[in-house]
Amino acid sequence: MKHTRWALAAAMALALSACNGAGAGGETDPSKVTGEIEPREVSWLLSRPADGAVIATIEEIAADYAEEHPGFSLNLITTPDRPSYLQKFETLATANKLPDFFDTDATPFADKLRQRGDMVDVEALLESLDMLDDYRPLALDYQRFDDGGLFMLPFEFEAEFFWYNTKLFEKAGVEVPATLDDLVDVCGPLRDAGVVPIALDGQDQWPLERYLSYYPFRLAGPDYVKELKKGEASITEEPGRAAAEWIYELGQAGCFPEGFSSTGYTDARDLFTTGKAAIYQIGTWELPTLAGPLPPETEGAVDYFTLPTVDGAVTDDNDYTVVSGIGTALSSRTFDPLVKDFVTYVLQEYPERYAAQGRFSPTTNVETTKPEGASPLYDKVVAELDNLGDETAMPWDTQLDPTSNTRLQQELTLLAQGEITAEEFLTIVDETIKENAE
Amino acid sequence: MLRTKQRTAVVVFLLPPLGLYLLAVVGPILYSLVLSLFEWDGLSDMRFVGLDNYRQMLFSDDIFWTATGHGLVYLAVSLFFQLVVALMLANLLTYISRGRELVKTVYLLPAIVSTVAIALMFRRIYSLEPLGLVNAALGAVGLDVLQRPFLSDLDTVLVAVSAPEGWRFAGLYMLILYAALIAVPKELEEAARLDGASEWRVFTQIRFPYIRPVFLTTAIMAATYSLRGFDIPYLLTNGGPGHASELLTTYMYKTAFTNTDFGYASTLSVFIVLQCIVAVALILGVRRTGRDAS
Repeated sequence: MKHTRWALAAAMALALSACNGAGAGGETDPSKVTGEIEPREVSWLLSRPADGAVIATIEEIAADYAEEHPGFSLNLITTPDRPSYLQKFETLATANKLPDFFDTDATPFADKLRQRGDMVDVEALLESLDMLDDYRPLALDYQRFDDGGLFMLPFEFEAEFFWYNTKLFEKAGVEVPATLDDLVDVCGPLRDAGVVPIALDGQDQWPLERYLSYYPFRLAGPDYVKELKKGEASITEEPGRAAAEWIYELGQAGCFPEGFSSTGYTDARDLFTTGKAAIYQIGTWELPTLAGPLPPETEGAVDYFTLPTVDGAVTDDNDYTVVSGIGTALSSRTFDPLVKDFVTYVLQEYPERYAAQGRFSPTTNVETTKPEGASPLYDKVVAELDNLGDETAMPWDTQLDPTSNTRLQQELTLLAQGEITAEEFLTIVDETIKENAE
Repeated sequence: MLRTKQRTAVVVFLLPPLGLYLLAVVGPILYSLVLSLFEWDGLSDMRFVGLDNYRQMLFSDDIFWTATGHGLVYLAVSLFFQLVVALMLANLLTYISRGRELVKTVYLLPAIVSTVAIALMFRRIYSLEPLGLVNAALGAVGLDVLQRPFLSDLDTVLVAVSAPEGWRFAGLYMLILYAALIAVPKELEEAARLDGASEWRVFTQIRFPYIRPVFLTTAIMAATYSLRGFDIPYLLTNGGPGHASELLTTYMYKTAFTNTDFGYASTLSVFIVLQCIVAVALILGVRRTGRDAS
């Protein structure tokens, strides 16, 4: 009875917490929080890899801060697996038990928390610290809610590219695709050369959802998904229709591996790094792997191209998916002089220490140190990041309401597998969004 | 009869587990029952909706009925491994003497391996690109036409996610049934064999009737566990592709923690509890009729 009981126990916890009522949040305006700093343990609920650069940097900074402030300690509670993290996060949020810091994207759920007054206004904080202009606008935009409100701090800055294996492209006699339709056309020759055209992590579903966002972003710009989620635009209109048809064509052309729906994140990456797949769409957070030592099949053969365009595109070639990772919010309920002082210290120290580890800071005031032994690909990426446009293709999974998003992801897999047609896909998704739109 | 002092002692020892049971099992079930009458996203105020959630579940939610149907297939596949295969293995085990302990240990092994490891292993076993164990074996014996990505193919995925659950606990139930089989009086079997009964008749007419109560208890355990199966299907496919391997448990989990619709998720959990109670009642019914007949 383990799982039912567990789920029921969670339900009970939620029911109990409901008795506490929603309750008013704390102080959301950081400038109103003043007074003496009283060191204590501060907790941070986060969803980042435990051995990753963000956590390593934060730990280092916290250790320095603790030396100056005896009695202070930082308790990092990380759950890298996103679904498990969200479950923990939502349960704590409903119980009004969120810790001082917590990670979240600008989702509809997070927006409810903000409206309840649970989050500190980060824009006001950055402004008061005179740091707002240090940040890359794209990094902040990624964290903003629809009305422009900024309540999450970015700690990363990554662009998403299509990495490809030059040896396999040569073997199949194909060129880098210039348009999204060209991407479909390279799949046939690659298959004939005995190569999986595109490695895809189908298990997590967001990677395939990225593909769905490309056509609408090129045809109608970044606002389409914002209108779509409110029910102001319909997915059955041209941008959505083109996207669905394109996904169907990708599937029919054998672009994705057989059985991709159960391929996990690392399996998809390994398919590419071991030279079995020719293309792999992923963010620069995988750069240390892709520009580092690789197996002989891919050694010196990894390059990338950015999001291909379409006929009649309204966005520029250098506009594509750029993310600043899951953001970090400050709980207004526990925001006191200590938290304010600590977060100020973190914001001052973070960019330089993070960049020193070879990672891209969300700010423009530091230069990334090239890691030892990294291939020339590294320099190319650094240059690319300095040449970004000012629009970003927002990932749809952070935009749509959760119910519509779940349904869309499930149907999208079927569409790519050729189990349903583009028309069927559009009808189902349109109905679901209409039912659940805000 | 126990003396008063002893009776008090028994009560004192029984109360804490009973309290724990009420708190950890009955309490949450009752809370779910209450929660199932509300609409609640966890943050906004709870809104009383009466039986609306039940109406939606029974009459307008196609995924609910699909998932319920899948649950029965999942149950059938699991029970096939955990009762039929386990019984067959337990019976065969009584005929060997050398290496019996080794066989028992090997079959029991999957029951103690972590679920996540099992899920990862089966994901690779079923894979087609890169070639996994099952597809490689099919290719090696010339059955290339049967090769497919078992976890992505809509026709095979449900059985593919059910089989690991059955496989995993088959060894455990085999041990229980084996223990029952070796308790069958040898004189009965020998007498039957002297009368010329085949091994099959010994099994069907002596051994099985003798272990029937144990078998039915095993059936209750296996059935209730399978009805609540969650971890392996969740880790392997998360109910996908589409809803092809959706079970009530995975659907409930997603409704609660992805869609943050805690009221409706509670409605689904109430249904799962009812389903388990009905299954146990059915098996107990079979047991009673069996006892009355004998």
